[in-house]
Amino acid sequence: MTAIPTIDTARLILRAPGPQDFPAMRAFYASDRSRFVGGPKDAEGAWRQLATEIGHWALCGYGRWIVEDKATGTVCGIVGLWNPEGWPEPEIGWDLFDGFEGRGYATEAAEAARAHAYETLGWRTVISLVDPANRASARVAERLCARPDGEFTHAVFGTVIVYRHPVPEVCL
Amino acid sequence: MPHADIPVIQTERLVLRGPAPEDYPKFESTFTSYRSRFMGGPLSEYESWMLYAAEIGHWQIHGFGMWMIHDRETDATMGMAGGWFPKGWPEREIAWMIWPAVEGRGVALEAVHAVRSWCYDHLGWDTVVSYVDPKNVSSVRLCERLGARLDPQAESIDSHDVVYRHPSPAQLRGTQLADGIAMEVRNYIDPLFKPKGVPLD
Repeated sequence: MTAIPTIDTARLILRAPGPQDFPAMRAFYASDRSRFVGGPKDAEGAWRQLATEIGHWALCGYGRWIVEDKATGTVCGIVGLWNPEGWPEPEIGWDLFDGFEGRGYATEAAEAARAHAYETLGWRTVISLVDPANRASARVAERLCARPDGEFTHAVFGTVIVYRHPVPEVCL
Repeated sequence: MPHADIPVIQTERLVLRGPAPEDYPKFESTFTSYRSRFMGGPLSEYESWMLYAAEIGHWQIHGFGMWMIHDRETDATMGMAGGWFPKGWPEREIAWMIWPAVEGRGVALEAVHAVRSWCYDHLGWDTVVSYVDPKNVSSVRLCERLGARLDPQAESIDSHDVVYRHPSPAQLRGTQLADGIAMEVRNYIDPLFKPKGVPLD
């Protein structure tokens, strides 16, 4: 399996998800914050989601990182590249855990994930899928200079807005 | 390629390796079909992919999990077997699934016997169960051929399954039970080999 890289940003560390992240995942999926990303889920569902996040790396060679707040070492979200079967194309996804909103963490982590996609993986384009009711997530997409580019309908998530990120030449 | 840390198990007809991306197609066709009705299916293609990813993540979380069963000669995938212990399971399980076209050749018997022995020998387990839907006649029968017995005292996952408890490591070490399983496998390999007193389906 591809070794999962660690990425260091100004305030955050993006690292591989592991068994130790179960409590944070369980808390996130138990809360209403997860309503736009397939939640709420019970403990069993949150555990399977964590296992899936790990397996995604093995299946695709990329995936989502656990985001840690450097100052405190606290797990504050899960952000990265996501492309399960049936996805329209690879996306950058961000789930911020309770208490970490309003600091620009999702934007900072997503920017690092985008740089990884463009620089390390050589992608030429990438999208983010945002639930139309999820204003906070749409604002993150806009801050990343992604722009609406149609809609996608998924059996589980319903109709979501496709935000397309700027090309590598603009971002890097 | 499967995860480098997942051990490879060889038996007479099979080679068991960690699940790899290229092994996915028949997992999906099995889990999106009626065949998977006793394993939480049928699933959508999306759910099936998410489950396959979780099977791989399970290895990393627990250090054990489900192996992909391959035909030793052709390398074709035949199903999966191994240890399964997601959140919500009362105890560690030996689980299996065999692609529909592979059924009836003793592949599950050979694979499950091998993974059970591996878990006992390498992980030091002293007991293990299988959670079976009582309507799943093939799995009930396989449990019995493997020497597992109903354990009505054991906690089940939900009210829809029964718990079969497998023989302990000691009950499988050089015993008549272990010889019986080996002889039944031999009969599948060589149908002319018909040991006396071994029940053959």
